[in-house]
Amino acid sequence: MPPVITLEKLTKSYGKSRGIIDVDLEVQQGEVFGFLGPNGAGKTTTIRTMLDLIRPTSGRAAVFGIESSADPVAIHRRVGYIPGEFTLYDRLTGRQTLEYFANLRGGVDPAYQASLVERFELETGKRFKEYSKGNKQKVGVIAALQHRPELLILDEPTSGLDPLVQQTFFTTLRDAVADGATVFLSSHILSEVEKTCERVAIIRDGRIVKLGTVEGLRDLAHHQVEMRFAGAVPSDTFARLPGVSDVVAEDHVLRLRVAGAITPVVRAAAQFELLDFVSREPSLEETFLAEYGREAVGAGANGR
Amino acid sequence: MAASAGTPRHPAATLSTIPLRRRLYGLGSIYGKTIRDSRLSFIIAAGLFGGLALALGAAIGTVFPTPETRKELGTLVGSMPAAMVNLFGNVTLMGAKMGTLGGYVTWKYGSLFTLGTALWSILALSGTLAGEAAKGSLDIVAVSPFGKRRIAIEKVAAHLTLVWVALAVLAVMQTVSSNAFGDASLGDQIPLAASAAFSVWVAATALFFGGLTLVLAPLLGRAGSAGVSALAMLLAWMASGLGVGGPLLGLDPFHWTENNVPLVQIYDWGGVLAVAAVGALLTAVGIELFNRRDLGVTSGLSMPSLPAGLLGVRGPVSRAFGDQVPRALSWGIGLAIWGALLASLVGSFSDTIGKDPGLLTAFRSIFPGYDFTTAGGWLQLYLELFLIVAGFAAATFVSKWASDETDGRLELVLATPMARARWVIAGGIGALLAVLLATVMWTVGIGIGASAGGGTIGDALLGSASFGLVAAAFVGVGVAVGGVWRTSLAAEVTAVLVVVTYLIDLLAPPLNLPDWFHQLALTAHMGQPMIGVWDPVGVVACVVLAVGGIALGAWGVTRRDIAR
Repeated sequence: MPPVITLEKLTKSYGKSRGIIDVDLEVQQGEVFGFLGPNGAGKTTTIRTMLDLIRPTSGRAAVFGIESSADPVAIHRRVGYIPGEFTLYDRLTGRQTLEYFANLRGGVDPAYQASLVERFELETGKRFKEYSKGNKQKVGVIAALQHRPELLILDEPTSGLDPLVQQTFFTTLRDAVADGATVFLSSHILSEVEKTCERVAIIRDGRIVKLGTVEGLRDLAHHQVEMRFAGAVPSDTFARLPGVSDVVAEDHVLRLRVAGAITPVVRAAAQFELLDFVSREPSLEETFLAEYGREAVGAGANGR
Repeated sequence: MAASAGTPRHPAATLSTIPLRRRLYGLGSIYGKTIRDSRLSFIIAAGLFGGLALALGAAIGTVFPTPETRKELGTLVGSMPAAMVNLFGNVTLMGAKMGTLGGYVTWKYGSLFTLGTALWSILALSGTLAGEAAKGSLDIVAVSPFGKRRIAIEKVAAHLTLVWVALAVLAVMQTVSSNAFGDASLGDQIPLAASAAFSVWVAATALFFGGLTLVLAPLLGRAGSAGVSALAMLLAWMASGLGVGGPLLGLDPFHWTENNVPLVQIYDWGGVLAVAAVGALLTAVGIELFNRRDLGVTSGLSMPSLPAGLLGVRGPVSRAFGDQVPRALSWGIGLAIWGALLASLVGSFSDTIGKDPGLLTAFRSIFPGYDFTTAGGWLQLYLELFLIVAGFAAATFVSKWASDETDGRLELVLATPMARARWVIAGGIGALLAVLLATVMWTVGIGIGASAGGGTIGDALLGSASFGLVAAAFVGVGVAVGGVWRTSLAAEVTAVLVVVTYLIDLLAPPLNLPDWFHQLALTAHMGQPMIGVWDPVGVVACVVLAVGGIALGAWGVTRRDIAR
């Protein structure tokens, strides 16, 4: 089965400022794909190019096998999209806004629309300008889901939603996936991606720097190990081991970071009298921060 | 150690001093930032004021160069019904001075400067606090270490500074113009003190209605306060000019200053002072209301909503039109009142003129080509102003269409199966329907006014379509600019073209500029539609610009990136 999204050497430059450079990735049908990166790394530029809202400087973006700039309407017919930032018609109520987008698309099941409204507890009688940020986001979420799209492209979809509504959102997303939808989820909230996605790409300074399964990314990452010794801490023994770094000794406690296999550390530890041994599997967030740290946060200041 | 709750945890850092220059213009203060943000409107206003003062001096000096023509002018104006002449300046009080440059400018254009400047204040002062509060941007400013009162004072002060500087430009240019183009022997020269007094009157009136807007803004929000203040201004101007309203005239700032005609050196400082004092009081109350009320929360007395059917959710065209309806209704109501007023006056006037061959000859010698025996002929005389208003109305419709992209809605709209070109075409049609609605309301106003005044204006009813044609042409130009280039500049470019068109049409004949130059103005090709004389070239040009502009915009938008 051909991929739902194919990006090949996709590049977009904004004159002097950087956009994205040589982005390559594929998303398969039924997949929940996470797109991670710090602010300004190029996530939104990638999405907007996929939807033909902006045109690539070079390279190719195809959705459902259709070149995005060749027939964007055919793509949009099958897509639900939540932009990172949006506004809607101030004078229309929530109900009228949803009705308008339903009319633009056609084929929206009123019962399903009503079920979404109920599920997200949206007060549809208020005018859009009277809504709180979270309720405005709910309108965007329902507008993106109400036509049961084959592909959901979500750019920071939970922005402004409270934790309970976020939970509702992810439940709804899982239902959509169970119905066969594909999801492209852009976020900088790593826990959100970790809970939801199967594969993840990390973009930095406009380039894809990591691409793989969530588990795979974790495996690529380090383990945090903490050992409590009965006697003196043998720091040197561990510091020499392959993949070990950031060795810190404090009283009888030794903390270190292990990249790759943890076996050499376990074998070395077995030679000493240990009171405690804790190896913690890192979260994706820790992986991300360890990989990019502060540098990543400061990166993309010039990007979009 | 317990920290005192009232003491900052860290000693105040030594901050570098902000240069005075940046406090006055730039990012050094709220005042400086407001000045900086308003620079475009200031440049437009000051340029328009200065340019008009120069142009009017040149035009009047050329059209009425001799004592005889001035006498004819005096006869012409003096023969008009008092209700009509005093609407545009106190002719009765001016007497023989009506024949001077200052008198003529006061009579024909004085109210234009006053109403225009007051409208500027209404729009600016409704937007600077209520508009920003509604958008949320004021929340961030309001949590800076300044009180809300100070924020309001700095913002209002910045606007007033710009108004006063623009009016200073007007005063200087009026004096320069009268000395350069006027005839001293005919009493044309306007002393700087007189020009300055005119500007002071304009500034006081603008302060009055700007202050009223500030008072209303916390209650009605931006659009409501601007709409109510603008309507109040228009009604007050007409009530004073027509002498209607009974005891309510006591509340009318135009009535308070009706004996103030500074450009012919007739002053009523008491009236001007009263307007300025009430304006200052209203402004102070508005600032205090802003200080005391919740930020961005209006009283719930917001403007009534449109019926759901008019909001348009069926498809892109109905939605585009639904978005335009409030603007179209605002323009339509204002134009209908203005049109009704003129039409009610010109009917009886044309009858009077028709019965006096001597007077008719005098009028025809000054305004060749106009048929003053019909109400339509008189309306034609004012059509040029209406056509400029049509251009500005078109610019606001273009602005509304453009807001889909500039406000960030377009991304969601285009993520549906709607092609970019379809969005432009639907938006263009929506704007054209808005033009149609405003034109119909204007026409109805003219019809009602003519019926009330006993005039017959059959041709003028059809001729009012010229308003719609010109507006449609400017819509086409704006949509083309927005589609091909960028929507964020579409309305501004349209407005500039409207001003340029007006100036070319106004200045080219009296300054004897080449005919081809005059022909560049679209309004020079409209014929005299109010008396049934149409110029096919103008009609075709309008249709081509409207349809071609939208088509060009639809083509252009497919070739560029969509802005966020």
